[in-house]
Amino acid sequence: MASYMLRRFIGSIIVMWAVATLVFFMLRFVPGDPIAAMLADAGGPDEIEAMKRNLGLDRSLFVQYAIWFQNMLHGDLGNSIYGSRVAVTAVLAEAIPRTLSLSLLAFVIALAIALPAGILSATRRNTATDTTVSLLAFLGLSMPDFWLAILLIIVFAANLQWLPAIGYAPLSDGFWPWFSHLILPSIAIGTAFSAIIARMIRSSLLEVLKADYMRTARAKGLTPWMIMFGHALPNAMIPVITVIGIAFALLISGAVVVENVFAIKGLGRVLIEGILNRDYPVVQGAVLVVSAIFVFSNLIVDLLYGVIDPRIRLN
Amino acid sequence: MKYSGKLTKKMRQLWDEAHDFDPSDPMLGLTGKELSGPKLSRRATLRLLAAGGTLTAAHLMPGFSGMAQASGAPGGTLSCGWAGVAEIQTLDPAKIGQVLQFQITSNVLSGLMHIDASLVAQGDLAETWTVSDDGLEYTFKLREGVTFHNGDPFSADDVMYTFERSSNPEISIHSKNLANVEKLEKLGDYEVKFTLKKPQASFLTKTLERASGRAMTIVCKGALEQMGDAQYGLTPVGTGPFKVTEHVLGQGVVLEKFADYYDPERPKLDKVVIKPIDGVEPIAAALEAGDIQYIGGNPLAAQLIDRFKANSDLIVDIKPAPGFQSVWMNPWREPMKVTDFDKPMEELLKDKGFMVRLALAKALDRDTYVKQAHFGYAVPGYGTINPAMAFYYDEAIADKSQQAFDPDGARALLAEAGFPGGKGFPELELITTPAQKRNGLVLANIYKQVLGITVKVVPKEFSVGIQDFNNCEYDMRLGGSGGDYDPDDGIVDWMMTASKFNGRTRDKEKYAFGYFSNAEADGLIEKQSVTAGLEARKALVQEANQITSDRVACGFLYHPVDVQVRHKSVNYPAESRIPGLHDLDRVTLG
Repeated sequence: MASYMLRRFIGSIIVMWAVATLVFFMLRFVPGDPIAAMLADAGGPDEIEAMKRNLGLDRSLFVQYAIWFQNMLHGDLGNSIYGSRVAVTAVLAEAIPRTLSLSLLAFVIALAIALPAGILSATRRNTATDTTVSLLAFLGLSMPDFWLAILLIIVFAANLQWLPAIGYAPLSDGFWPWFSHLILPSIAIGTAFSAIIARMIRSSLLEVLKADYMRTARAKGLTPWMIMFGHALPNAMIPVITVIGIAFALLISGAVVVENVFAIKGLGRVLIEGILNRDYPVVQGAVLVVSAIFVFSNLIVDLLYGVIDPRIRLN
Repeated sequence: MKYSGKLTKKMRQLWDEAHDFDPSDPMLGLTGKELSGPKLSRRATLRLLAAGGTLTAAHLMPGFSGMAQASGAPGGTLSCGWAGVAEIQTLDPAKIGQVLQFQITSNVLSGLMHIDASLVAQGDLAETWTVSDDGLEYTFKLREGVTFHNGDPFSADDVMYTFERSSNPEISIHSKNLANVEKLEKLGDYEVKFTLKKPQASFLTKTLERASGRAMTIVCKGALEQMGDAQYGLTPVGTGPFKVTEHVLGQGVVLEKFADYYDPERPKLDKVVIKPIDGVEPIAAALEAGDIQYIGGNPLAAQLIDRFKANSDLIVDIKPAPGFQSVWMNPWREPMKVTDFDKPMEELLKDKGFMVRLALAKALDRDTYVKQAHFGYAVPGYGTINPAMAFYYDEAIADKSQQAFDPDGARALLAEAGFPGGKGFPELELITTPAQKRNGLVLANIYKQVLGITVKVVPKEFSVGIQDFNNCEYDMRLGGSGGDYDPDDGIVDWMMTASKFNGRTRDKEKYAFGYFSNAEADGLIEKQSVTAGLEARKALVQEANQITSDRVACGFLYHPVDVQVRHKSVNYPAESRIPGLHDLDRVTLG
């Protein structure tokens, strides 16, 4: 187990380095000038040259890479080249809690909907309940998240005025301000997510419920509750967890549209704006974080297989 | 002019008194005492309005006061949404590149001068000033007893430090704005003297203006040394009416009342919360839900204006905005290639490339464009000089310009250039930003309808589009300027051969200029820059503007409007209503 984890960890580091290096060079080869974007309506050729010198962008690409890599090994991801040149770590430190808060709450909402819906749908196969749950799942999958987000704002913020329409409040401001700002965007994101998981749980459970050991469980007199939660669900969760792991990672980096609608500057928006402004250090830092999230969430999923199903040996 | 025959005898007397000054006198016949702050006399106010060409009969009414107060009670918190932006990236004047950023710093930092609602330069940290007869020396007496938000006293040393910092292109992106300053001297603890290389009529309103100028927006040396540039950019320390108490990237900026502001009457509000909100629907919902009471930032999406107007809880106030937008045509590319704009007009009109340029400009059905792309909320444009400049704006240019909409004339020119009915005309690419794509499509449709030519709209991110523009690698581009309070912001920055935007990173071996070059226009623009007399300067500005329009420096399209939207509980006094800015120091709630 320890050697497996060590191998996976080293592999993860190599993947992250490869992604970051690829992004470093790709960014510099795509069209777009960060200095021109930054200067907008100010500055002439002298300012452009001075700015390039100041930011080290006049050096060769490999020198820039070497400096960036060396600094990264020391935990220094550089400074944003846009605006006040805030440290990239500070930009990420602001964005990550917002994205994590949003993703976790969306994740909880999604599971809270998906688990009972998936179980109900599977255990009452081909009944009105199953049809209703399936229809709702399709509806959830079909609704674009930005559309649902705007709908939620119009109903709960603009009309009923129960919840704030936009923004984010950190947990340090109190639970309610934090929760009230996040509940609508979390529902907007979590709905589609819950539909995917509910469908996965349903199909996976249906397979498991047909298995011989289910008949054995029923024959030995176990209650339906024990059969479901003691035997069926853990076995059905293996493929579901794979999907959840990937989807959670996608959620963290891909909630850009909903973040935009609710004016929450999370990791996704940091990344997108960094790309649009050609803010190289910010993009490199954000990509590093996102790749770490992908790599480690997959690692956690792999480890969870062994926990859920002891027959799976991690070696 | 706005002189009305219906004025009463008393008002007529006031009108005549206001205009009774020598235009070459930089003090406009006013004494230093009359110009001293914090309150201007009625006589001085009317004189400054007259000098700026913005005095109207309304100002002469018995009830008018240049220092009218907002009607609500002091105190309270104003929540603002800053439109079209996800993050206020910097508030350091040396780094500010966007109007929406200096809209905030205008509430936090001071300058020597600040324009008022009539675009007249008023003293801010400058209590009085004198200008030498040759227009080369500006001596300022600074306010005493002013302190920065951190308690540091303000003195001439801070002006010297700001000048030194802003002149360094390694630090400031506005160093070019100080290129005409020969030297700055400290004459005393509260007195400084600028010596210019050549006279500059816009020195007070452009270079020393606290908001749009940025180069001489006063920064605090002590705070900068203590905080460092990055932190100062987030929470700058100034001498303005509000201090920044919190700035979380992507979340917003919190301003609180600065109790020791030099004018004890201001600010009225206790606190201002500014939230950046990107996206059309989110900002509308936030205002309608009561999350915010006021909108600043980037220009509001035109499709929201009628929706807000229909809401009885909201006030929508529309004024001309200081800026222009154009269709830029690359003069180095066929079929609109013109490499010499200096030819006499009759010769130029025989040049096929110029015929195409003029046809493209004449085909601009600006009324339709404004209606379809901006829902009617913009002013057709024919030059860089915008209606917000009032005095300098030439209302007749719409009729006089060669660019006036003339579909038959445009078709005839295109036919003469070898493209009858648009046949054989190559497909041109029009670069827009993603947000401008719809506007580009409206334009492409107009060209199709009027000239029968195909223009392909190519949305590119700003960082890519601006690079193409700077390098002269484009067919056509939609773009322009904002925050243009002085004619120099338009004609000097954009219309001269040496203008900073005129192909600033082009291959100079290949392209002698970027998008336009005309010696006559250059001469007039140079001359107006050093002309102190208002009427004389106005004539030069308008002549230069006319040349750039007639010779198709670009297809001038429209001037934006400044739309201020606020909840009816927000009292925003008329004297603070500076187009393009959001000075909140006189705002009250109630």
